[in-house]
Parts: sequence; structure tokens; C-alpha cells
Amino acid sequence: MAREKGYTKNNFLKGIIIENPLFVSILGTCPALATTKTVEAAIGMGILFTIVLVCSNILVSLLRKLIPEEIRTPAYIVIIATFVTMVKMLTNAFLPELYSTLGVFISLIVVNCIVLGRAEAYASKNKVFDSLIDALGMGVGYTLALISMAIFREFLGTGAFSFGKVFTFIPEVTLQIIPKGFELSLFQTPVGAFIVFGVILVVLAFIKNRKAELKENRARQERLKKQKEAAAAAAAAKSTAEGGNK
Amino acid sequence: MSKETYLIIAIVILVSLLVTFIVSFVLYRRTPVPKGCEHIKISEENCSSCSHEECSFYKGKGEE
Amino acid sequence: MQIMISFLLAILSSMLIDNVVLSRFYGICPFLGVSRKVKSSFGMGIAVVFVIVLATVICWPLYNFVLVPAGIPFMDTVAYILVIASLVQLVGLFIKKYSPSLYKSLGIYLPLITTNCAVLGVAQGNTDQGLCFLSSLANGIGTSIGFLLIIVVFSCIRVRLESSNVPKAFKGLPIALIVAAIMAIAFMGLQGLFAGIQL
Repeated sequence: MAREKGYTKNNFLKGIIIENPLFVSILGTCPALATTKTVEAAIGMGILFTIVLVCSNILVSLLRKLIPEEIRTPAYIVIIATFVTMVKMLTNAFLPELYSTLGVFISLIVVNCIVLGRAEAYASKNKVFDSLIDALGMGVGYTLALISMAIFREFLGTGAFSFGKVFTFIPEVTLQIIPKGFELSLFQTPVGAFIVFGVILVVLAFIKNRKAELKENRARQERLKKQKEAAAAAAAAKSTAEGGNK
Repeated sequence: MSKETYLIIAIVILVSLLVTFIVSFVLYRRTPVPKGCEHIKISEENCSSCSHEECSFYKGKGEE
Repeated sequence: MQIMISFLLAILSSMLIDNVVLSRFYGICPFLGVSRKVKSSFGMGIAVVFVIVLATVICWPLYNFVLVPAGIPFMDTVAYILVIASLVQLVGLFIKKYSPSLYKSLGIYLPLITTNCAVLGVAQGNTDQGLCFLSSLANGIGTSIGFLLIIVVFSCIRVRLESSNVPKAFKGLPIALIVAAIMAIAFMGLQGLFAGIQL
């Protein structure tokens, strides 16, 4: 199969920007709103999510010729649930703080539309390596999206960035930026989650509209220019023709 | 009862659940859509809430 | 009598105070995606109520009488997702075969329910917190009715939003999210509702 250069790179990058699962496709919103109280929890959620996505994509891709067409969805659900159970047990054993912070949302990765969606839309049709890259891109894109939401929520909600509370293997550090008493604790509540997500989508939509407008303007100007040139050429042709008549 | 008996019962139940799921899934897909429901579609053109292929909202359907 | 009262109170509290969508964040996907028509969101809500209650009734005994005695409580997620998915398929099969009129209004939402976090979230939450059977049932009923309530109310709001003149960048999802935030503020006001009553 011939493929263009840079396919792998684009395949990876598309998950981060063009097809970002959270901000562009609006998938997996439940954990995105629930686990972005602190940056650390968001990172943890993103990593667990990426692990599940990568593992299930690889396995689905490996088994894509073995699973009959008719029972694809049930098979994928079982595969994903198995990996989620494994990730859950590992988290419980090695990072109990992360486990208790994320709570039920680790199990809810099973019903996250992104995992099932990637398995059905990509891994079931592509080779193992491509599926791995696709899953990595999507996972990293989702993690970055979660972190960007968590930065706003933690900064505005507590006025500080604290590390070491969830990942206990690094020393505990708290960077108090806004003095205590001036933080907006609203952003730590569900209300803040909705507002932050909404505002990020607004900004993205604004940029997209702006780009489309600029493109349209440029296209219109080019069209006008061409029309003018055509008119000038026609006029010139006419005048020469008239000159010839005389 | 001993623990092994319970374990066997649990495994049997889990496997039977899986079988139920697969059988009902296949049966659901094979059952024809009832009369008068063939053209049910929600007019929303850009639902992007999930990527469940069976949902008539599903965007990717047209692209394939 | 005492049990009845606390059962009802538990239903109300998981319906209003800990609302699924606005404070527990389950089921945001259908909340944002489907709820644009009152009728269809009502259908979706009813289907979700049915599946959540049935799933709660099945999953709790499955965990406590089968998985725990067998020493494999870690298989809970797999077992629950199998229960939920087969329930959804069986209900769908039944409706498709015997009730075309019901299929007409619910059919397209049924496959979506499997991937609705609310169903798995309720089942998993019940056993993770170690609730007793009645509390689990109350949680299931309350959560699902809360979902129905919120999805219908929200679809009414979105019908009005469609025809209102919002800035271009806010059109569609962003304004819906902002409205959801305002609704969440309103539901925060219910937080002290049962403060004086001993549950």
C-alpha cells in the first residue's frame, strides 16, 4: 500500500488538533467535566484513558480479521471492559489516592464514546501500528484538553496549583498565586466546569469563524480581481476589434 | 457451599450473560424494522454527542 | 412507615440535590446531544428510567450474592456492562417485535443507552459505596427520574434558544453549556433542602 510521506505524523497530530476528541468532536464530556477539578486529577484521568485506548485499539486491530462482522460491538465492549478492569486494579494497587480521587469515573471509561468510537471507526479497519498511533494521538489530545480545562478551574477556583496530593511519589508542592480569600470557589463546583467548557468552546468557535471569514474575504477579493482582469481583457479585445472595424 | 462452587456458579452466570448479550444483539440486528418506522430520522443534522454507529444521528455514516 | 419515608427522601435527594447531570456529571452526552426536541428527549428519558431501574435491580444481587461469595468482586465492571448491554438489546428486541408504536418513539434511542454513563455510573456507584438494596433502588429511581426531569427541562430551554439571537460564536453547544451552568446554580440552591430532616 502506497502512502504519502508524513502519514504517521499526521495520523498522530490529527487527534491533538483537527479531530480533538473533546473540543472538536465533543466526545467523552462526562469525565472531562467531573475530573478536571485539579490539574493532577486531569493528568491521571488522561493517562488512564490513554492506556485503555491504546490497549483496546491494539487488540481490536489484531483481532480485526477474527471477529465476525455481526458481533463486533459486543466483542469490543468486552475487550474494553477487560482493560478497564485491569487499569482499575493497577491504579487501586499502586496509586490509591488517584483511585479514590477519580472514583467511579475510572469504571466509566468503559462507556466513554471515544474508546468504542475509535475501535469501530479506526482500529477495526487499519493495521496495528496505525491503530496504535491513532490511539496515542487521540489519548494525548484528550489529556491535553483535560489539562487545559483543569488549569483554568484549579487556578480560578483555588488560586493555586498543588502537586503531590494525587501522585504521592512526587514531593508535595503548592504554588499559591492568588492570595487566599480572593479565589472564586465557584470554579471548583459543577457550575465552573460547565462555564469553563462553554467558554473554551466559544473561543474555539470564534477562532474558527474568524478564519473562515478571512478565507472568504480573500477568496472574494481574488474573484473580484479576476473579474476586473477579465473585464479589462474583454474591453481591450473589444477596442482592438472596433479599431479593426474602423 | 465451598468457594470453588461459588466461583463456578459465578463464571457460569458471567458466561451466560455474555451469551445473552451476543444472542440478543444478533437477534436485534436481524429483526426487521417494523412497518412505518423505516424512515424515522431526527432532523438534527449535526448531533455529535457520541459515535454509536447504529444511531441515526451518527455523522460518520454518510462519509463511509 | 419510617422506611417508606426515608425511601422517598432518598429518591428525592438523589433526584434533586445530587442531580445526575448537573452535579454528578453522568450522561452529559445525551444531555447535550439529544435534547433539542421536547418529545424526543422525553422518549430518551423514559427509556433511561426503565433501563436504570432494571439494571439496579439486577446488578445489586449479582454483585452481593454472586461475585462477592465467589471472591471475584473485581469483575463488577465487566458484569455490569454485560447486564446493561443485554438489557438494552433485549428491551430493544421486545419493542421492535411487539410494539411498533413504541419503537417509533423510543427505538432510535435504545442503542444509545448502553453508552450512557448514567446507567453504569449508578450501578457501579451503588456497589462501590456499599449501599443496601433499598438505598440502591432509591438511588436508581431518583437518579433516573432526575435525568428525565433535567433532560426535558433542558430541551424546553433549547427550543427557545434555537430561535433567539445569540452571538455567532455562542451558537449551538457553547450557549447550551452556559445555560447548563446557570441551571446548575439553580440546583445548588436546593442543597439545604433536607438539612433539617434526619435521613
